[in-house]
Amino acid sequence: MKAAVGALAACAGVFFAFLLQQALPPIHVLHGARFVLVPMILCYAAMVLPFPAMLLAACFTGLLSDLMYLNAVGGRVEIALGCSIVFFVIYGCIANGFRPAYLRGHWWPVIPLSVVCTWAFLFMQFAMISLRREGFVFDEAILWRSLAPGLLAGLFAPLLHAVVKPFAALIPENPWSTRSY
Amino acid sequence: MKKLNIALLLAVLALAVYLSVLSPAAMQAVQGKFLSILAPFLRTGTAVQEQIGSMGKGLKTLDEVEADNRKLTEVNRVLLTTNNLLREIEAENNRLRLALEYRERSVFRLLAARVISRDASTWWNTVKINRGFEDGVETDQPVLTDLGLVGKTTTVTKSESIVVLITDETCRVAAKVEGTREQGILSGMRIQESGTSGELQLNFLTKNAALEAGKNVYTAGISNGVFPSGILIGKVKEFRTRPLDGQAIVEPAVDISQTEDVFVVVGAK
Repeated sequence: MKAAVGALAACAGVFFAFLLQQALPPIHVLHGARFVLVPMILCYAAMVLPFPAMLLAACFTGLLSDLMYLNAVGGRVEIALGCSIVFFVIYGCIANGFRPAYLRGHWWPVIPLSVVCTWAFLFMQFAMISLRREGFVFDEAILWRSLAPGLLAGLFAPLLHAVVKPFAALIPENPWSTRSY
Repeated sequence: MKKLNIALLLAVLALAVYLSVLSPAAMQAVQGKFLSILAPFLRTGTAVQEQIGSMGKGLKTLDEVEADNRKLTEVNRVLLTTNNLLREIEAENNRLRLALEYRERSVFRLLAARVISRDASTWWNTVKINRGFEDGVETDQPVLTDLGLVGKTTTVTKSESIVVLITDETCRVAAKVEGTREQGILSGMRIQESGTSGELQLNFLTKNAALEAGKNVYTAGISNGVFPSGILIGKVKEFRTRPLDGQAIVEPAVDISQTEDVFVVVGAK
C-alpha cells in the first residue's frame, strides 16, 4: 500500500517538476543554466521506495523526459525514446542501494546523489547530441549549463526532504519507523 | 536480488529497447499525442515564465514615458505620410496591372501563429506555436516574421507545433550572401549565449570570399528544400578563413527570444 502510494506520488511529483521547470526562466548569470528538478525527485523517490516502485517511477520519469525533449529534425531523432528510461533505471538502482541508510534515518545521501544525477543526466544528453552532430565542442557555457543545475538540485534536495517527510508520516507503514528491510 | 525484481528490471529495459527502435515518425506521433495532453499545462507554465522574466522590465520613469511618446508621435507622422504616398502608388500600380493584364505575383500563403511556449531544455532551441495540422500546418514548413526567418516546423500535433529555430545547430538552411555569388550552409551554434539573439554560422564559403560585415544573408532556396528563396536570415557579423573553407558569423534578423507572433508558410497562393 505504502509503496503504491509512494510510486504514484513520485510520478505526480515528476510530472509537476517538469511543468515547474518549464515555468522557470534560465539563469543568465550562470550562462543560461536552467533549474532541472526531475532527477532530484527521482533520486529521492529511489532512496525512499522499494525496488519495484522505484522501477515504475524511473520508467515514468525516463519516458516523460524523452517525450519532452525529443528533437526530430529532417527525419532524424537525436535522443531516441527509451534512452532516458535506461539512464534513470540505472541511476535509480544506484540510489536504491542507499535505501537501508535512509531507513536508518540518514537522508543526506540524497544531496550528492541529486547533484551527480542531474549533472550526469544533462551531460549524457550533451554527449549523445555531440555524437550525433559534428564531434564534441566544449566551453565554459557547457560546463555551467550541466554543472549548475546539479548544484542547484543539491541545494533544493534538503527542502524536498523537509516537505515530503511529514506527508510520508501520514501514510500507514511509515518507513522512518521501519527497521526491517 | 529477488527474482521478481530481476523480471521487472528486464521488462523495463525491454520496453526501453522497444521504444528506442521505433521509427522517427512513430516517435514524433507518440510525442505529438503526449504534447496534446500537456499543452494546457505548458501554456500556463510559459505564461508564468514570461511574468517572472518581465518582472520590473515594464516599469519606466515619467521622463522616459514622455521621451517615448515624443519619439512615437514623430514616427507616426512619418508613417502616415509614407502610407498616403504608398496608397497612391498602389492605386496607380493596380491601374497599370489591369491595363497590362499582368498576373498576380505568386506569393506564399501565410498562417499567423502565436508562440505559446519557449522550450525549457538545456541543449535545444525550439518553441511551440498554437497552430497544428487542424490549421493546415505540416512538418518541415518554414516559419518567419516580417523581419526574417525564424525556423521550421518539426513535430505537428492537432493544434500545436514544435518549431526548431535557426539558432539550433540541427536547423540547416542553404543561404546566399547579398551582392556576392557566395552560397553556403547556415546553422545555429551548439550553445547560444543566454539572453542574446544568438549567432549563426554560415559554412562552406570560398576561402577568399572576405565578406564585409553588415551584408544581408538570404535563403538560397534549393530545389526540394524546405525554405523558399529570398527570405532574410540576418547580417554578416564577421568572416573567418579556415583551412578548407570560409566561415561567416551571422547575426539573426529576428530576435527569437522576444518574438511572440510568427507566420507559417503553408503553401503558395
